[in-house]
Amino acid sequence: MPLPPTWQQFLDEAGGLSRFTGRFFSQGFKPRYEITELLRQCYIIGYKSLPLVGLTGFIMGLVLTMQLRPSLISYGAESQLPAMVGIAVVREIGPVITALIFAGKIGSSIGAELGSMKVTEQIDAMEVSGTNPFKYLVVTRVMAATLMLPVLVILSDAISLYGSYLGINIKGVISMDLYFKQVFDALSFDDFVPAFIKTYFFGFAVGMVGCFKGFNSSKGTEGVGRSANSAVVVSSVLIFILDLLAVQITDILGLN
Amino acid sequence: MAKRAINNVKLGFFVLAGLLIMIFSLYMIGKDTNMFGSNYTLKVRFENVHGLTSGNNVRYSGIQVGTVKRVKILSDTLIEVSMLIDTKMKQYIHKNDIVSMSTDGLMGNRILNITPAKDGSPLAENGDLLITKKSVSTDEMLETLDKTNKNIRDISQELKLTVLKINNSSALWKLLTEETLPDNLRASSFSIRKAAANADGMVQDLHTIINDLRAGKGSLGSILTDTAIAYNLNEAVLSIQQVGNHADELVRELDDLTKGLKSDVNSGKGPAHAILKDSTLVIKLNNSLSNIEKGTEAFNQNMEALKHNFLLRGYFKRLEKRKK
Repeated sequence: MPLPPTWQQFLDEAGGLSRFTGRFFSQGFKPRYEITELLRQCYIIGYKSLPLVGLTGFIMGLVLTMQLRPSLISYGAESQLPAMVGIAVVREIGPVITALIFAGKIGSSIGAELGSMKVTEQIDAMEVSGTNPFKYLVVTRVMAATLMLPVLVILSDAISLYGSYLGINIKGVISMDLYFKQVFDALSFDDFVPAFIKTYFFGFAVGMVGCFKGFNSSKGTEGVGRSANSAVVVSSVLIFILDLLAVQITDILGLN
Repeated sequence: MAKRAINNVKLGFFVLAGLLIMIFSLYMIGKDTNMFGSNYTLKVRFENVHGLTSGNNVRYSGIQVGTVKRVKILSDTLIEVSMLIDTKMKQYIHKNDIVSMSTDGLMGNRILNITPAKDGSPLAENGDLLITKKSVSTDEMLETLDKTNKNIRDISQELKLTVLKINNSSALWKLLTEETLPDNLRASSFSIRKAAANADGMVQDLHTIINDLRAGKGSLGSILTDTAIAYNLNEAVLSIQQVGNHADELVRELDDLTKGLKSDVNSGKGPAHAILKDSTLVIKLNNSLSNIEKGTEAFNQNMEALKHNFLLRGYFKRLEKRKK
């Protein structure tokens, strides 16, 4: 029975991505390692993303605080604002917003970069010259994305909480000491550790999808734009799917 | 090559900052759950833990000193709660300190409160069982409130009836709307005030009188206060009593006498009888008296004759001269 073409296309994509992931695991952990290239990618993917991620994190913390404030005041629980914002940022907002921004910036750039390399046949030339293009291009980028996103998330959380502190001080008054004391009193390892672990998966997904889309781009320069676009869309959707999985798993483990 | 080195420095700085923040937050989160630092365990037993779970806070006089480690059911009426307490608190927590359960805020998490017993009992060791105090649960509070509410309902019903009665009472309203009543009341109160002032004066007078009496002024005072008078009165009364006794004797003697007289008179003995009962004696006496009358007349004549006698005339003339 022939499947509808959209279904067939979707399954083809899913299968291709799975094979690509399997190839990453089979080749990624074997020598020789491209350490220099990995560090360069880390610098580009991690360090260069920090201003964008920091800005969005700061605004998210500030806005979340100001939006939550009226409803908390109507409950008479204004003093719970730091605890609420702290839990929201550390558990959900920080990882997901940062990962989405990361997907927008890094996923698209990886997709476009690898796509244009594929289209201009640089990858093929690399293979001819004896360098393993998969190791040099894909593994370093995926590793960099996987390792850098958690760091970015932690920094973004910190900036978000600082933004929230400023947000509280716009309308009310709270000391820095009391604010962070309340935030950390409300937090526990059950809040922090699962959220931290899932950011590795987010980073891995963004890097993997970006590389897959770029590595398999076709149809000339038009294909480069499409692969960059679809890399962002698919990795963003994957982030939400992974988030759904993560919350189910933490729930099963009783960490919620 | 130099640019790549600078990039790596930046990357290292970036990653280290992330790591430091992560370690700091892990430490801050872990600090309150007593994951770092040394602890010791204290146990406490409750009948009902009201939703206390491991990880809930333990406070000593309101200070955070540890967390609940485990809640274990011992039997159907006994639940053992193990608490992880900071070792620094070992020098403060005593064996007789009281553990009670309460809520953090109005709707917050369950917490355990250790209250110092202040009775000088020895310090609690690892694994010791502390004493519990039954805390007031919300259910009990609500039960009491329910009773109070019912009472308030009854009272308000009664009050409603009372108010209705008051509203329907025409006499009361007449009394309230009566306009001359305040004037009358005012006049009455004025009179009462005057009467009170008078009474006050009277009382003051009485007061001074009583004071005088106490001080022994006036006859009543002296009667009341002078002891000599009392003695004299006593003497007088004694004398009167003696007189009475003597009077008794006299009367008895008089009685005897009259009895003797009576018998004498009746039996015809003695002069009385002769006087009272003998009629011949009366005649004799009568004769004697007429004789005496005649004799005295003759004697008067004799005496007159004597006056005119020369022998005695000089004496009488001297008497008359002396009278003049």
